[in-house]
Amino acid sequence: MGSFVWMRLLESTAQRYDRGIGLLSGGRMADVYRRIAALTTADAFSPRVLDIGCGTGGVSLACAARGATVVGIDVNAAMLEVAQRKAMRAGAAGPVTWLELGAMEIEDRFGPATFEAVVACLSFSEMTPDEQTYVLEVARTRLRPGGRLVVADEVVPRGTVRRALYGLRRWSLALLVYALTQTTTRPVAELPGRVRAAGFLDVVVERMWGDAFCIVRARAPAGSGRADGAHAAGARGADA
Amino acid sequence: MSRRPVLADVRDTLLRMLPHRAPTGLTAIGRPGRDAPVLVTGNYALTVRRLRHALMGRDVWLLVADSRGINVWCAAGGGHFTHHDVIAAVRAARLEGRVDHRELVLPQLSATGVERRRIEEATGFRVRWGPARSEDLGAYLERGRRVVKRERSMRFPLRERLEMALVWGWPALLMASGVSAWLVGWRAAAGTALAVAASVTGLYAAVPRLPLAGRRRWAVFGAFAAAGAALGGLALIALGAVDVRQLLVVVGVVLVAVAALAVDFEGTTPWYASALATAGHARVELAPERCSGAADCVQVCPRDVLRMDGRQRKVVIARPDACIRCAACIVQCPEDALRFRFDDGSLVEASTIRRTRLNMLGRRTVEVPESRV
Repeated sequence: MGSFVWMRLLESTAQRYDRGIGLLSGGRMADVYRRIAALTTADAFSPRVLDIGCGTGGVSLACAARGATVVGIDVNAAMLEVAQRKAMRAGAAGPVTWLELGAMEIEDRFGPATFEAVVACLSFSEMTPDEQTYVLEVARTRLRPGGRLVVADEVVPRGTVRRALYGLRRWSLALLVYALTQTTTRPVAELPGRVRAAGFLDVVVERMWGDAFCIVRARAPAGSGRADGAHAAGARGADA
Repeated sequence: MSRRPVLADVRDTLLRMLPHRAPTGLTAIGRPGRDAPVLVTGNYALTVRRLRHALMGRDVWLLVADSRGINVWCAAGGGHFTHHDVIAAVRAARLEGRVDHRELVLPQLSATGVERRRIEEATGFRVRWGPARSEDLGAYLERGRRVVKRERSMRFPLRERLEMALVWGWPALLMASGVSAWLVGWRAAAGTALAVAASVTGLYAAVPRLPLAGRRRWAVFGAFAAAGAALGGLALIALGAVDVRQLLVVVGVVLVAVAALAVDFEGTTPWYASALATAGHARVELAPERCSGAADCVQVCPRDVLRMDGRQRKVVIARPDACIRCAACIVQCPEDALRFRFDDGSLVEASTIRRTRLNMLGRRTVEVPESRV
């Protein structure tokens, strides 16, 4: 698919999002959700998972199907309603909670060391660089020691030819989507570097789809879940 | 000292329909100290530049939140700019460590999507509504951050109406004259260009007086298209190219151009309610028994629809016909006392309005539920 700029068009009607993204990825998106879920839930038996920017719940439900207890957060209430309906239809194995909450508001609802895993698929590209740094720091403190972080997003391919092809596809699509929705997406820059800078360890990167999509997984350091710094001080405890 | 970047302003004005992102984050205007006011805005490049100009010579903080490069009014109405974005901006800038006070000034026109109380709960910063228009910010700050009534109401001066005519007119102009030139030559193209420019400019120039309610709206658009076509015909005569084919092309192209604009001319102005919006036929309704007289609605209404009845300590809907159904009052009411009522009697409560936003066709993105009252 080369670019996720189409997502903007799809999100303008939440109900269309799943069908559209399935179609555009040639059915591969479901496989990617499953791959992300497998990485997210690999370490613990029925882990508690936080899905940042869960949208219509593709990753959340894939995690739940593997026995995880999931909290999916998103700022778009319409997308969450679609997610909820999907969860009811699927009869998700583990319980899933949906919350209208911004990525920058995680600390308001969840105390330190609440989750075994934190996952974010196609949501870091929605954030400014400052926000990405902030969210990674909060994610580290909300994870238990050694907890799992998985961030999957659109990235700019390496190599001149691939980059040129990507640029071509992206801009031809972007103009159309701009015209219809007045928004677009941006690829994430320096994702593995940011994850490392936020104090995560064992950073592993998988690239796919013409190098334009990457899954970064990493581990929170032992002891990172203690109430360190300002984020924990602002927390009102886990009430989800 | 700093000259306004005129070229960038022209480019951004012509391409107003597309987003132009400015960098987000906290920036200093002048030399603000730890007590200087913090003004919040979206990251629409044109707005940020205009704000810098309007605030020149003052010492204030400007907190630019992510509105996806769209102006505050459209972004807030369309769900691209919400309290989540303001909370994110406050936290990403680590604002609590950079100023000693705990107060944000929000643009009044963001009230359709940015919930004041949610920001206060999450950040501890108190939120005040600023004036509707940036040119009033200077007076607002000098007055000690109090808005006077005149500054809450939307204005749409001739200069801005002509700007909108330019924004919407030039793509139509280009396409219309291109089609004419291709069909029947350059004389017809010149005639079409004049006709389209005259109809579009005329429509925007006449905005405050256009009677667009009900069926009369089509007569209005028809009249402007006819006047434009007549001008185009005169131009053809002046250019010595009177033949039926050319005349038909000019009339046909102008009709198509005006019809395209007529789809939602109202929605391109801050003066009329959008012709496409789901709430097109709804009316704002007050449940007086719920009203606590907090008057948040009075502060955010850009059309001076609501007034405070001092004796009753309750709000009244004083000018219902001026309402453009932006729903800012409904979103901000702390008691959920305001709501939309449709012609068929069904109600849409505040909770639904807060959960849903308008998409590009003016549709609320979640279905309107049945009445619960």
